[in-house]
Amino acid sequence: MLLLDIKNLTIELNTADGLVRAVDRVNLSLREGETRGLVGESGSGKSLVAKAIVGVLNKRWQISADRFNWRGQDMLSLPYEQQRKIIGRDIAMIYQEPSRSLDPTAHILEQLEEAIPDHLLDGPWWKRGYLRRRKAIGLLHKVGIRDHQSVLQSYPFQLSEGVCQKIMIAMAIAKNPKLLIADEPTTALESTTQAQLFRLLASFNQLKGMSVLLISHELESIARYTQSLSVLYCGQLVEAGETAAILKQPYHPYTHALIKSVPEFQPNLQPKTPLYALPGSIPVLQHLPIGCRLGPRCPNARKECVKTPTLERLQNHFYSCHFPLTGAKEP
Amino acid sequence: MSTLLDVQQLCKSYRKQSGLFRYRTVQALDNISFSLQQGKTLAVVGETGSGKSTLAKLLVGIEKPDQGRILLDNTEVQLGHYRQYNHQVRFIFQDAAKSLNPQQKIGQMLDDVLRFSTAMDVTARKQKIQQTLKQLGLLDEHSEYYPHMFSGGQLQRVALARALILDPKLLILDEALTALDPSLRAQIVNLLLELQQNTGLAYLLITNHLRLVKHIADDLLVLHQGKALDYGETAYVFEHAEHDYSRKLINSAIA
Repeated sequence: MLLLDIKNLTIELNTADGLVRAVDRVNLSLREGETRGLVGESGSGKSLVAKAIVGVLNKRWQISADRFNWRGQDMLSLPYEQQRKIIGRDIAMIYQEPSRSLDPTAHILEQLEEAIPDHLLDGPWWKRGYLRRRKAIGLLHKVGIRDHQSVLQSYPFQLSEGVCQKIMIAMAIAKNPKLLIADEPTTALESTTQAQLFRLLASFNQLKGMSVLLISHELESIARYTQSLSVLYCGQLVEAGETAAILKQPYHPYTHALIKSVPEFQPNLQPKTPLYALPGSIPVLQHLPIGCRLGPRCPNARKECVKTPTLERLQNHFYSCHFPLTGAKEP
Repeated sequence: MSTLLDVQQLCKSYRKQSGLFRYRTVQALDNISFSLQQGKTLAVVGETGSGKSTLAKLLVGIEKPDQGRILLDNTEVQLGHYRQYNHQVRFIFQDAAKSLNPQQKIGQMLDDVLRFSTAMDVTARKQKIQQTLKQLGLLDEHSEYYPHMFSGGQLQRVALARALILDPKLLILDEALTALDPSLRAQIVNLLLELQQNTGLAYLLITNHLRLVKHIADDLLVLHQGKALDYGETAYVFEHAEHDYSRKLINSAIA
């Protein structure tokens, strides 16, 4: 069954210059137990999509979608209270900078205990405090922190960024969520800790069947740990499909450029030779090009590109381009 | 190819207060030696607290070394003498947007650099600014822009312009490529490689990004808790790292 099924999600912001469409008809679906990567550069709206799923966007953003189903239930038609209840029960999110999202004035123990819901503690009420503490320690062990005593008594600023991120993960998995959204979980971390964290997320995915939506701007780190991939550019979904298939044969010029710009995916590239790069830079939201937003930077843009391409499907591979890279379109 | 920078047995320790009267010394750098040829790139990798940034500070002269010698063009130097050496060693910070003055136009900022560090007159300075902007793929009218009017990639170019306007021999990049988006990073990497080929500039790249190091660095120095673990040609170190720590670091990026 599809866990999350979003069709044509549009997120708009009302500004003085009129409506700015930050996310333009993005489709996203997640099966149970799937790990999906969401890749895009800064300003491509990937964090907005994540926040829209969790429902923490500011009132100023207008969210609309043709379909927004969570386990078969239409979320947008539900009353707000009920939405919160479902999201609070099933979806957890970890944010970019752990030391900034933890409460600086409280011990880790307090914060971690707060994240454990009552219904997961089976015991009489007078034992609750004890059980809660036991559970908190167990959670720390699960995320690979052995020295629980000193960590529980510390404040976030006393711990390293990697440990803070692990605590965030511990808090997120405290309620056994169905879906874990990780919004750039590793940007602040070093490469050895990064690998550790990705392995941790992968193991929860395999052991508990928890779905993971991994958001990042680094294609190379994400590609290793995900089964499927969605690529965003400027709020438009440019390509989606299985990770291996996309890496092997990207259809969209942007994905192609993204893959080619990473030396790791180019084993034959000699050191010190120039990397492949698209000219220009990402347009700002106030001055978006019409039609395909990659248009002005695209190497094979033509007249038709001023019309927004529709999402085409080739088996399990979706792309939105008038001129996909592998020869001609299927008739 | 001549040796541009030669660092011999560099040591640096900091004193930290750990009680009312007690002090603890932290050995930030312990006996570091390396050399850098003209037109080559040396990458320094290591985790936080490994002494990478201390090394950068010593090389631009913000801090003085406790022991050891720094040789620039085979002469021993005191890099703290900015007037003499800021022409030769320039530094680029991690976040271009935060390291530029938001109240100053780009042209003004570049002009200040020349005014304080060279004996050029007004017309020569103007010409030099134009020439540098052009070299970095920016336009003349960009000198009338304020930093907030640029996009991320262009800001990095502006930061590069500020560093390169004095025609340095060595450019130190402290995590300058890490925060950029992949497609912008590719652009900046290409620009750096092109500059190196055209002008024989040497880079000291301080970074965590090992995949990039593999592509653009000639030599690699692995630091761990102030000690140099592995030092040698990048390809060689990647193949035959001697220490467990460097192997772990390399495997985490490559595997």
